[in-house]
Amino acid sequence: MNYPVWYLPETGGGFLIALISILHVFVSHFAVGGGLYLIYAEKKGLKENSQPILDFTKKHARFFLLVTMVFGSISGVGIWFIIALVNPAATSLLIHNFVFAWAIEWVFFTVEIGAAFVYYYMFGRMDSRTHLQVGWLYFIAAWMSLLVINGIIGVMLTPGSWAQDMDFWAGFFNPSFFPSLVFRTFIALMIAACYGFLSASFTADAGTRISMTRFSAKWALVTLVFTLISGLWYLSVLPDQSQGLVMGKSPTIAAIQPLTAAGFVSFLLLMLVAGIVRPSLNLKPVAGLAMISALVVMGGFEWTREAARRPYVINGVMYSNSIMKKDLAALNDGGFLRSALWVQNKEVSEENLELAGEEIFINQCYACHTVGGINNDIIAATRTMSYRALVSYLKKIHELRYFMPPFVGTEQEGRALAAYIAGGLHGKEVQEPQQDAGSVAKGPALFEENCASCHALEDLSSLQGVAKEEIVAMLRTLNEISEEMEPFGGSVEAHGQLAAFLGGHTDTAQQETAIDGKAIFETHCRLCHGVEEMAPMIGNIDRQEIFTLLGRLDQLESSMPPFGGTAEEQEALADFLASINQGGK
Amino acid sequence: MNPLFIPQPDTIPVSWGWFQFLLLLTFPLHMLAMNAMLGGLAIGLAQHMCGGTLQKQLAHRIAIALPLVIAFVVNFGVAPLLFVQVLYGQFLYSSSVLMGTFWILIVPMLIIAYYGAYLYDFRFTQLGSAGPWIAALSFFLLAAIGFFFSNNMLLMALPEQFGDYFSHKNGTLLSFGQPQFWPRYLHMLLGALAIGGLFVALLGRFRKDLHPDLANHAEEVGLSSFLVLTFANVLIGFWYLLSLPNELMLLFMGGNVGATIAFGVALLLAAGALFAAYKKRYWLTFYHAIALVVVMTFMRSWLRSAYLKDVFTLDQLQVVPQYSPMIFFFITLVAGLVCLGWLIKKTRDVFVLEGKQG
Repeated sequence: MNYPVWYLPETGGGFLIALISILHVFVSHFAVGGGLYLIYAEKKGLKENSQPILDFTKKHARFFLLVTMVFGSISGVGIWFIIALVNPAATSLLIHNFVFAWAIEWVFFTVEIGAAFVYYYMFGRMDSRTHLQVGWLYFIAAWMSLLVINGIIGVMLTPGSWAQDMDFWAGFFNPSFFPSLVFRTFIALMIAACYGFLSASFTADAGTRISMTRFSAKWALVTLVFTLISGLWYLSVLPDQSQGLVMGKSPTIAAIQPLTAAGFVSFLLLMLVAGIVRPSLNLKPVAGLAMISALVVMGGFEWTREAARRPYVINGVMYSNSIMKKDLAALNDGGFLRSALWVQNKEVSEENLELAGEEIFINQCYACHTVGGINNDIIAATRTMSYRALVSYLKKIHELRYFMPPFVGTEQEGRALAAYIAGGLHGKEVQEPQQDAGSVAKGPALFEENCASCHALEDLSSLQGVAKEEIVAMLRTLNEISEEMEPFGGSVEAHGQLAAFLGGHTDTAQQETAIDGKAIFETHCRLCHGVEEMAPMIGNIDRQEIFTLLGRLDQLESSMPPFGGTAEEQEALADFLASINQGGK
Repeated sequence: MNPLFIPQPDTIPVSWGWFQFLLLLTFPLHMLAMNAMLGGLAIGLAQHMCGGTLQKQLAHRIAIALPLVIAFVVNFGVAPLLFVQVLYGQFLYSSSVLMGTFWILIVPMLIIAYYGAYLYDFRFTQLGSAGPWIAALSFFLLAAIGFFFSNNMLLMALPEQFGDYFSHKNGTLLSFGQPQFWPRYLHMLLGALAIGGLFVALLGRFRKDLHPDLANHAEEVGLSSFLVLTFANVLIGFWYLLSLPNELMLLFMGGNVGATIAFGVALLLAAGALFAAYKKRYWLTFYHAIALVVVMTFMRSWLRSAYLKDVFTLDQLQVVPQYSPMIFFFITLVAGLVCLGWLIKKTRDVFVLEGKQG
């Protein structure tokens, strides 16, 4: 909201970030691990006094230079460009806080470049002791680059106390700093081995190919084990919510996990079979498959890490859509559009409802959703929702889906966003709920408001004909059906109306208009209190006082919430409680 | 008056003067490397197309150096881009988004240009007549990247244009329609080609004793290119000065003492460089040119401050002090320089030894 949004509705910035960053990390980790691989490949050649192995190492160094210096370094700059375009607010916050970390990384990057060029161009021209020292200098500089970047990336996932005081060192050495560093070090070595495996497949001399294939596969397998162990350590230090997302609560992560696992198994098998057992099988297509498998594993990790901090871009500090968590209350009170800089509609009116809604969409939703694109298409995601369903859904979006930021703004702005999505994108009717609708009409409305964000009516056709009481019971225990659902939170009356609608009992719904105080007691109080224990508690408190007390139950007992139903329901419940000592209604 | 769209800047950890110092320290390095890259490639391409043996030798030598130079252009560009984001982030991030579609294209363009340079180097002989085409493609892409940089650096200084965002939400707003754009870009481009001449002459001097003809040819080509292009660039420089909004132009003509002195020194350095090049005195030309580039970067910085002074001055940045990371950076910088020095020494030892062995 402080910065303009680069709006490519069908592409989406997230897709561009993912594209550049996954390819970059696959090369940048090679740039780190590959340094150590080159040193040990050269040492192996020297120890075995093998010119073919030294030739292999030099050829691999040239490949290393071409991949890391060109694609690696430029795509690294590319990440910087793309994050600044897609999320300038977060980039600015991090750059301003960690400018000297980036400056330090720049120094190591400079040494890396110098050492990489000297290592390659002086191969065979410099005495081997000095040449190996150059290799070590390269590796140390590259690993230090990783260390520094790891500190900055880590703060986005586990900011620790930095989130409160923005202290540089507290942020840099954040809670996941060490596990992430160890994990990335091993994954870098593993990927380096994979690149070595690829180079070996291109080696004409059969003896060298087999020798370097085994050498690479051993590296890969050993580092794979340590990658797994350090990965578990990394996972263990994540906050509970992030762990939950990684373990399956995030659909984004859940969707990628089978592919990542397949890549992992494929890589493991290829290294075992074509690397150790039968290295002669290391042909170019086999090595290519190993590279793809490793890319999938690396991509899966990066994808997971990015998604694990949802709904934030900087965990606990800034939401994915650049809104600062600390600003929520003020924006909800004062209005989002009034505070946003890059919008033309500062106020919402009936005339500009959809236009204002589109600006809210661009500023709040587009960070993750495309419009008609492949990645997280908002049109597909809201296809079943009506305007009314959207209005209701936006109010609790962050409760229903933890990984989504809350809608920020006034009720009117929420209506504008719903109008843009339902009316502007889907061409649906934009009509306010009828306050005086009869109970028959409330069933569909309740469905739209509470269920339609996830379910089409036809998905629930199996409920047709099911007894209303049974559906009511299901509505009260939806969380037992799926962890992603909450029990339906409506009144007793609403339970009946929704159940009647879902079960196709619309003829009986009209009977639900009478409010039953006992049923309300069953819904709201029965979980902790039996009717019989209420009698001595109520004693001779009069009905009016009971009504008043229901509104401030938390003052009687801090663990009790105040009664949350409608005024009519509160009246009915007060009547029922007052009648207990007279034998109940 | 149209509303201005200027984001709130973030806080900085040390006084803005440190960042300005670091920006002015590192930006000339990027400029010099960029000039060597662009000018060297252009002259190498021209030499390659001329067709003579000596010309091809020179083109090949430039081709060998080019990937290394590109690596340092990028590397030396990272630091000033970092520091300018700290100082002027609210303008630069905004202008980058406004031209986002072109800005991100720089990445694939640079990758292609860079691989082209490696191909031109590693396959110089095998490529035959295709070589100059590859080099030309790389040159075109690098010059286009410069074009986009000029667009962004001008756009960030014109926040009154930011309101055009609403008709360019897809990031296609450029600033080449501004009267000062073309003289600015051409001044930069011609300057790069001129300084590139001095880089070519420097390359020719490498192992001069083994290839005296090549060294003389490179110096002849380099100095004459520098002389002609710098002379033309002085004229374009005046065009640039006159294209500036009146108030900004007058800064360098008595409106501001420091800016006027810098402009005067730049003119003297340009005259000195031209005279030295005319007299074929390489090192004298070289030092004048280096000093000229440094002074020019100072003037450029002055101009940016003047463009923005009505809406922002650097002292408005709020400091939340934390100096220890900067101290750590300076320690790392010294250690890094020591490492680079060691690498240069060890490489030099190899060349000396190889020279002795013939």
